[in-house]
Amino acid sequence: MNTSGGGGHKKDKKVRGKKMSTRVDLTPMVDLGFLLITFFMLATTFNKPKTMEVNKPAKDDIKKEEEPPIKMSKTATLMLGKGDKIYAYVSPDEIDETTQLQLDSIDYSPTGLRKFIQRRQNEVQAQWGNKDDLFVMIKPLPSSSFKNIVDALDEMTINDVKRYAILEPNDPIDSLIAMRAGQSRK
Amino acid sequence: MCDVAFLLLTFFILTTKFRPQEVVAIDIPASTAQIPIPDRDIMLFQIAPDGKVFFGLDDQNTRLKLLDKLSADYSLALSEDQKDAFRTLETWGMDIRSLPAFLDLEPGARATAPQPGLTMDTLGGNHQVEDLILFSRQANNALRIAIKADKTTEYRNFDKLIKALQNRKVNKFNLITSARSKRE
Repeated sequence: MNTSGGGGHKKDKKVRGKKMSTRVDLTPMVDLGFLLITFFMLATTFNKPKTMEVNKPAKDDIKKEEEPPIKMSKTATLMLGKGDKIYAYVSPDEIDETTQLQLDSIDYSPTGLRKFIQRRQNEVQAQWGNKDDLFVMIKPLPSSSFKNIVDALDEMTINDVKRYAILEPNDPIDSLIAMRAGQSRK
Repeated sequence: MCDVAFLLLTFFILTTKFRPQEVVAIDIPASTAQIPIPDRDIMLFQIAPDGKVFFGLDDQNTRLKLLDKLSADYSLALSEDQKDAFRTLETWGMDIRSLPAFLDLEPGARATAPQPGLTMDTLGGNHQVEDLILFSRQANNALRIAIKADKTTEYRNFDKLIKALQNRKVNKFNLITSARSKRE
């Protein structure tokens, strides 16, 4: 009897010894947590793209705008050519036989396009007293890339050009330049 | 530490907006523009480097309304399954008349099927893009138009789309660019 009782006592002791600890191992859960963090971090699109607003004149407005022609000396024309080149020129107010057209071939860097715009702003300021009078005509050729257009428009914002437009290359000078640059106008 | 980790996890789960599936890879140019894209009411045109144009609406109800108008105008007979497939279609670019066949494909096949781009030319009184613009705007008048074009897309392709937009009296649109700082 005694031995059996002692045995029973021994068994009880063994069970108590096997009793699990109440602390749960958290490692796998934390692992999973970090895995998920990594996943969501990679899946998140952090820098949301920005947009650039473009306002085109309504078709009916274009005709009205053409009625009082802008003085050419207030303008600057940028033709966006191939190979990230811009052909920039300023049309004279009146063309006669002595007219010399100065055509610059510039690039999109701050020393190219930005310098040109700033120079024109200063010239307009000197001649007309207000640099905001500058009207920039951006004329992309059909083969210019979308990046060129965005860059050109962006430069207008950077230099705070108040008036600019995207136009068709419609001037006879434009066709001449396009031909020289080996590109068709259409 | 674990608390912080799980806080982070919650944050990421709540803020994640999954990248929409892309029909075509488009590498957008950078600009200094700071205006973020609005979250809703977007009509998105995507122009691939080769000039293919794709179309997408962000809202599923607007998509359905557009499809109703399209099927009436182009006399497409569409089943409920096809309509449902269109409802979940983020971006597509093909002739409107070939839409039903495309919607019949299995979802997996639809994602990989080559898409020829929207029909841009207007030969024979064919004004598909203009119709899309008109009908979408009828479906949701607050739609804003965004254009996402690849850096290398030629201006002629961009110009075609702009002309179509202007023919529908849309003179204001957004070009999607990535942010960059002013270069010195």
